[in-house]
Amino acid sequence: MRRQARRAGCSGLWAARALVALQAVCVLAPLAIIVVWAFTASWPWPHLLPESLTARGIEELFGPSQKLGEVLGSSVAIALACAFFTTTVATMAGRALSRYRFCGREVFRFAVLLPFLIPATVFAMGVQVAFIRAGLAGTVVGVVLAHSIVALPYAALIMTDAMEAAGNRLEEQARLCGAGPVRTWSGIIIPTLLPSLLSAASMSYILSFSQYFLTLLVGSGKVKTLALVMFPYLSSGDRTIASAYGVVFLAATLVVFFLFELLLHKRMAREIDYFNG
Amino acid sequence: MKQNNGQPQPGQTTGLMSRRRFVGLAGTAAATLMFGGAFVGCAGSGNGGSPASDASGDDAAAIANSVDFSDWNAVLEAAKGQTVSWYGWGGDEARNTWINTVLADALKQKYDITLDLVGMDINDILTQLSGEMQAGVEEGSIDFIWINGENFYSCKENGYLWGPFTSYLPNFNDYIDGNSPEVLYDFGSPTEGFECPYGKAQMQMWYNSDVVTTPPTTVEEFAAFCQQHPGQVTYPEPGDFTGTAFISCLIAGVVGKGEFEKLSAMEEPTEEAVLAVVEPGLEYLKSLKPYLWKEGTTFPADSSTLSTMYADGELILNMGYGAPQDLVNNGQLPETTRSFIFDSGTVGNSNFMAIAANAPHKAAALVAINEVVSPEMQLSIYENLGNISVLDMAKLPQEQRAQFENVPLGAAQIPLDELLDHRIAEASGPVIPILEKLWLERVAQA
Repeated sequence: MRRQARRAGCSGLWAARALVALQAVCVLAPLAIIVVWAFTASWPWPHLLPESLTARGIEELFGPSQKLGEVLGSSVAIALACAFFTTTVATMAGRALSRYRFCGREVFRFAVLLPFLIPATVFAMGVQVAFIRAGLAGTVVGVVLAHSIVALPYAALIMTDAMEAAGNRLEEQARLCGAGPVRTWSGIIIPTLLPSLLSAASMSYILSFSQYFLTLLVGSGKVKTLALVMFPYLSSGDRTIASAYGVVFLAATLVVFFLFELLLHKRMAREIDYFNG
Repeated sequence: MKQNNGQPQPGQTTGLMSRRRFVGLAGTAAATLMFGGAFVGCAGSGNGGSPASDASGDDAAAIANSVDFSDWNAVLEAAKGQTVSWYGWGGDEARNTWINTVLADALKQKYDITLDLVGMDINDILTQLSGEMQAGVEEGSIDFIWINGENFYSCKENGYLWGPFTSYLPNFNDYIDGNSPEVLYDFGSPTEGFECPYGKAQMQMWYNSDVVTTPPTTVEEFAAFCQQHPGQVTYPEPGDFTGTAFISCLIAGVVGKGEFEKLSAMEEPTEEAVLAVVEPGLEYLKSLKPYLWKEGTTFPADSSTLSTMYADGELILNMGYGAPQDLVNNGQLPETTRSFIFDSGTVGNSNFMAIAANAPHKAAALVAINEVVSPEMQLSIYENLGNISVLDMAKLPQEQRAQFENVPLGAAQIPLDELLDHRIAEASGPVIPILEKLWLERVAQA
């Protein structure tokens, strides 16, 4: 019996490994092709390898006409600001929805999902008009706010579920032991929720980083992000330059994710203690 | 799962209560933010509040209103130090580089004007412009736009453009033939001085001379060519402007240039009137279908898809407004690339620059546009981008004309006079959708 179970476990492990490997290939192979295309001038059928290489993509990225550093800096800054703002609001909203009963709670719960339900283009055009009237169009603050509206439903859903899963046991214990509100937040609530907070923040970061149409309209084309500069090349079918931008795009996202992961792992030990206790 | 039911529990302090209220408030604020966004998204006109005074507004509007635009020196003076934003299609690396280096440097050095090129799709530009105009913004973000055709027509009809302004431009007055139909009309709609020509474009086809020995230069040869290379020739689905232009060339080849150009004069065309002109051409297109890519059951959605398929060797013929010399120069296409046009001619049009009605820097926009149509810049455009100049060569001094004539022609390029001798006027703006509909009914679905 036991041997059989072990064998089953063994083949299960191999199946799992094979699936992971398959998934890795499915994700990594297209990425590898993007990296190759960033240096490729022409790659006609039936050549297995690129026919000729070029530094055109790199020259375009670092050339004088494109201020890559500036664009990348503003993209990352906007995405980080959006991630911070969205996560803060989503945490509050999540706490309100999971802990308190108040009049119209279900309406609010539905309201959280509302930006999901409206087509992005329609939404963007309405936001543009409203932001123009409010004097927010063409400003970085306006773009961050607009991105936050889009990212909020995702972050709020994550935070509501996390709050409900975490419960308030530990928090009550801390209060009973005499911890003040600030200490309860900094010592119990935030560390408990850290993985979810980072998930919500990275989700918001990604959403903000990849917004094209909304950034274009709310930013009036003046707030230049990486997605904005990259898109014309994607739509005109210039694969070399589009891929070169794609690589930068990927790298910028991965670096931030790596930092988030690093932050999470530092806290991991404490988390495990909590969930085991 | 434990939940606080809102009843005071032992151990809860007033501090907790107030914090809960705070959290509740924040939740409400978050929901309001989302609700607000959503409602505005639906209605397209929210509560809005007071009309915004643009925070970034400098004194440009005040200056702009007091400038006498007919006095060019006053315009130059007002433009000094301004940052002018040029919105236009941004998918051409060579053009972006030219604008950001050659043109921007010249404007900076000569007139102390900073040029900010905003590359985006014309539809997005129009969305932004109409959004600003509908919100009543007096100082918008767009100064001037690269535009033509029905986009120009709809902008002008809606009052989104400022003008007429071309008479203010010294270079327009000196070097451009203001009475030429290509300047007076843009896809059949009168320009009336609301846009200044930027470049001329003409449909050309290209191929790899290692793969194709003799290009088909008549519609009969083209049909035979498709039969010899089944599945290796197609065109973008009309609706994409390259696709529409290419079927226009073929139709013109069948019905004749004179007959086809009747379409460019139609201002309020009926389907019958258009069909009367193009019917033999549609029959011809239908007869090509079995030999096209995927036997004509489907067509690539746009010209960039077609270009990708051509670059990958899936197709042996590609087409566009202008020769692909820059693609050959940067190694995307082989050195053996050659262009050709039909003996019966190919359609051409002009593209233009127009100033937004709420442009905050009209003086600088005028100076920038004037610079684009200067002989030096037009020559530079022709040299670097292979674009046909909008200047009237007869109005240029002898030496400048010679400079244009001495620009070395790339192997993939067709001599200018040969192009202009085989130029067919494009169908007017209102005819285009009818032509596309007829193609769909009588060619694609037949």
